[in-house]
Amino acid sequence: MDSAIRKEMLFHLTGKRAPDALDAIEELELRPALLARYRDLTRLRYDFPVVLVDAGPDGTFVRSLSEIVDEMLRKVAPRGVDGEGLRKHVLAVEREIRRLVAGGASGSLSSLWERAVREGAVGEGTALARYLADAGASLGVDGEVVDCDASMPRRLFTHAWRVAQERKARRLRSELSRLIVKLNDALRADFVKSEAGSRPESLKAALGDRHQGLFDFEAMSRLVSRATHGAPLSDARRNRIERVLATLRSQRFFAPAVGGSAARPDSLAFEFAFESAGEVLAAFRERLPSMIELTKAMAIAELEVDGRYSEAAHDGFFATFDEGAIGPEDLARFPDYLVCLKGGRVAADVPLMELLSSGVPVKVLVEVDDVLEDASLGKGQFAFGARNVQLASMALGLTDTYVLQSSSSNLLRMRQAIGRGLAAAGASLFSVFSPARGARGLPVYLVAAAALQSRAFPAFVYDPSAGPDLADRFSLQDNPDPEADWTVADFEYADAGMQRVKERLSFTFVDFLACDPRHSKHFARLPCAAWGDDLVPVADWLSQPDTAGSGRVPYLLAVDTENALQKVVVDERAILAARRCRETWHRLQELGGVHSSHAERLLAREKAVWEQRQVAEAETRAPAAAPAATVEPAATTPAAAAAEEAEPARSPDEAYIETMRCSSCNECTQINDKMFAYNANKQAYIADISAGTFRQLVEAAESCQLGIIHPGKPRNPREPGLEELLERARAFA
Amino acid sequence: MTTATQCLVHMHEEHHKLEDYQGGVPRWCNGCGDNAILAAVQRLCRDEDLRPEKTVFVSGIGCSSRLPHYMKTYGFHGIHGRALPIAEGVKMSRPDLNVFVNTGDGDCCSIGAAHWIHAIRYNMNLTMMLHDNHVYGLTKKQVSPTSPIGLKSNTTPRGSYLDALNPLTVTLGVQNVSFVAQVVDWIPEILYDVISAAFHHKGFSFVRVIQRCPEFLPKMFEPWLHDPQKTLLLSHENGLKISPALGRIYRNQLEHDPSDIDRAREIASQEDPIPVGILYRNPEVPCYEDIRNAGQLRTPEMIRAGFESELDKFTVWPQGPVPTQVSLTDERG
Repeated sequence: MDSAIRKEMLFHLTGKRAPDALDAIEELELRPALLARYRDLTRLRYDFPVVLVDAGPDGTFVRSLSEIVDEMLRKVAPRGVDGEGLRKHVLAVEREIRRLVAGGASGSLSSLWERAVREGAVGEGTALARYLADAGASLGVDGEVVDCDASMPRRLFTHAWRVAQERKARRLRSELSRLIVKLNDALRADFVKSEAGSRPESLKAALGDRHQGLFDFEAMSRLVSRATHGAPLSDARRNRIERVLATLRSQRFFAPAVGGSAARPDSLAFEFAFESAGEVLAAFRERLPSMIELTKAMAIAELEVDGRYSEAAHDGFFATFDEGAIGPEDLARFPDYLVCLKGGRVAADVPLMELLSSGVPVKVLVEVDDVLEDASLGKGQFAFGARNVQLASMALGLTDTYVLQSSSSNLLRMRQAIGRGLAAAGASLFSVFSPARGARGLPVYLVAAAALQSRAFPAFVYDPSAGPDLADRFSLQDNPDPEADWTVADFEYADAGMQRVKERLSFTFVDFLACDPRHSKHFARLPCAAWGDDLVPVADWLSQPDTAGSGRVPYLLAVDTENALQKVVVDERAILAARRCRETWHRLQELGGVHSSHAERLLAREKAVWEQRQVAEAETRAPAAAPAATVEPAATTPAAAAAEEAEPARSPDEAYIETMRCSSCNECTQINDKMFAYNANKQAYIADISAGTFRQLVEAAESCQLGIIHPGKPRNPREPGLEELLERARAFA
Repeated sequence: MTTATQCLVHMHEEHHKLEDYQGGVPRWCNGCGDNAILAAVQRLCRDEDLRPEKTVFVSGIGCSSRLPHYMKTYGFHGIHGRALPIAEGVKMSRPDLNVFVNTGDGDCCSIGAAHWIHAIRYNMNLTMMLHDNHVYGLTKKQVSPTSPIGLKSNTTPRGSYLDALNPLTVTLGVQNVSFVAQVVDWIPEILYDVISAAFHHKGFSFVRVIQRCPEFLPKMFEPWLHDPQKTLLLSHENGLKISPALGRIYRNQLEHDPSDIDRAREIASQEDPIPVGILYRNPEVPCYEDIRNAGQLRTPEMIRAGFESELDKFTVWPQGPVPTQVSLTDERG
């Protein structure tokens, strides 16, 4: 082993770099090779910036700028050459907006559009300026434009939460309005029917100003008073309705609709966004009595509106109505609480798990800004921000909590899952990796995307309402290549002979680590002259279980600021961290049903049993014999047999009616309603054979148009005219 | 409804017996098929535990239209031919009510024909029973649109001149038809099953009940009464299921998929044997009251929002974005 290789191995195993053989990467501004083409994000069309829109009919609360512009172009720019010019200019405006936002500009889409058109040096008053202004008016949506920066997750989630709450508020306001109107109608109807309501002045007031001169209200009052009225409302009922109305009108859980009556200061709606879990718990406890009162009032109101309130049955129940009577469906009608936490504070916020498991309808956003913090035990193994990275996994153990984990770069693609989480009943936890700043010239978006791609902060969703088991509830589908250990992408470069080379490169945890300057010490650049066969790509190295003593070292492919390829040796500690990251990813895959070890073992066992059975059957199969005769009992169909069994054995002399076929025509009951009666289905049967004569049986049989009455034989041999009656009865035997 | 209310309602639910739905004593003739229909709807109300105060029977004029008087529910005995528009008005203003329509071959197919056509098209969630006894009975025997050709009556002493109108083919030919069935009053088991299926169908359920008139056409259906082979039972897993006992008597059966409208039209055209069962059912047709958001409460906020929205159309705004128009459907969430 030559000395160069020994120095590489020394660095790999110990992290100690020989300066004459390996270069430190701190000053080199290297980035992983797969990130080479993303130098200037403002020149690319991708998910950001996003526009926080008012909710559409499908509940969308966020859209990407590119998506909005594409939709607008479909409307205003004709296909083909004619529209190409406008399309080019519109896309230039979009690029300008992206540049402005990346530079820190803020505002609504409409205002940024105007600014971008202006600053794009389009002459005012020109046809192009008018076209672009019209295009801006055709955008169809407006809202705040937000780039992928440290503040984006909080702004996005707060906006989405407000949209979800407004939808909830509309539903509850509609319900409350209905109950208030119906209860008022009941009081009004009672007043109208009362003596006071029949007075001339009341009738005059009810008519309004316009046509009063046309009526004699004294005469009207006399007429109206003569009509009989139903019983007035009892005092108890009136008081109950008035109390309930007062509670419904004074609720503070939702603000009145826009344009509604102005609220007094003391009746302003409660605030539901807080900065800590402790504050949420305190607010919930404080408002619980009001919640109980409102739920009780709504229950009473619904019963009253439906006419089902019974004082004897319900007064006692409502007298002791407390929080025990409020179920999850009741809680779900009230606004959700929102609390936004920074990852560093989560550990200090002890009540967080208590809050998530309490059943309080709360939406918690935890912004994790670092997944690579070192262990507090000093140099050695990484802790990798275990407390924050593992928070979402810990919350899975709560089973009833909606959990979503993602990096901030992926939030647009997970907007539907975010919407579902915000609409879910009970608690929801959103754990988002949101880097505080970029690194090594990488913007925040790329750092966040690298965390997702490298499995350092994978995305997953756990939705308890999706079904009874993990297969329904847990999903990894928002990760790239969820079935693979690492994501893989194509990478093209020109070799020393300027020939194009295309490779498939994996983006591993080590690539993510290389993006963070704090961990530069785990990497060392190898000069080109030292590149040899002893170097193994990191992804291949990680896939080998035992690499000790192989005489080779792992390397990472990177690019410098000139986009020249570099190979960077990786030390063992970084490799160990990558292996742990992969193990964690494997655990998540198992939860998501990917490479489930239990399923694979069961499948292997079943396959072995099946194969054994196949072999056994092949050995015991006799030469073809005559096919066995089917020994099916021939005969009546089972239904017919059952039907025959169901019919009771009858004496041929007994009178009976085929009750099931009776059409309730009253012919027989008109003859003798003691002998013939209707059963619970209003079909005739012989109730009391002794209550009538054989003659009546025969007459009924003859009257019955369906012929289902069978007179049988007479019970009284001395009944007059029996011979004739028996002759007539023969037709109905 | 809140969870607490649901529990309370279930604790104190009233259950009604068949007699609880019986209003006045029917004055129909003995043997009249209207009695069978009345018994069937009373059974339905009992079995579905329909709240009497939430149930309405609407009728026009004729023997059939006496039915609301004999039900202890809300009822509306309307004017000739107008049962359907009245029922539609009830449904639009109170979509929460169970609305039944009882009409006869004259009330529906003659004077009420225009309303009948459009009621099918509107597909409102009503259950309509056409009591078809093929004659004007209340006015003592005149031909109706469904009377057979040659029937002698007060108005046609030489016999009627025209072939009978077929209510089934007419109904199946109207756009938006969603449920068409035919039954006979002398097979009460199927009469009940079909009316029950009609009630459960969301949309306009048209059930033609071929019924006897023992007073004016006493012998008309005798061949069908006494020869089960002249009745063709339509069965299917998505339609009517025939019990074994009934199947032994009525052996003339045909498996017919109610979703096949073309086949339904073919079957509807035949008159001997009489097809009995569900000819067509399509639950996907939208109901008019849903399309028009019937029953939406006109709260003060909604009315105010509507006024503001209309006045905003004529307002001259200063430079700047126009305030968001408030939709009247916003309150529905």
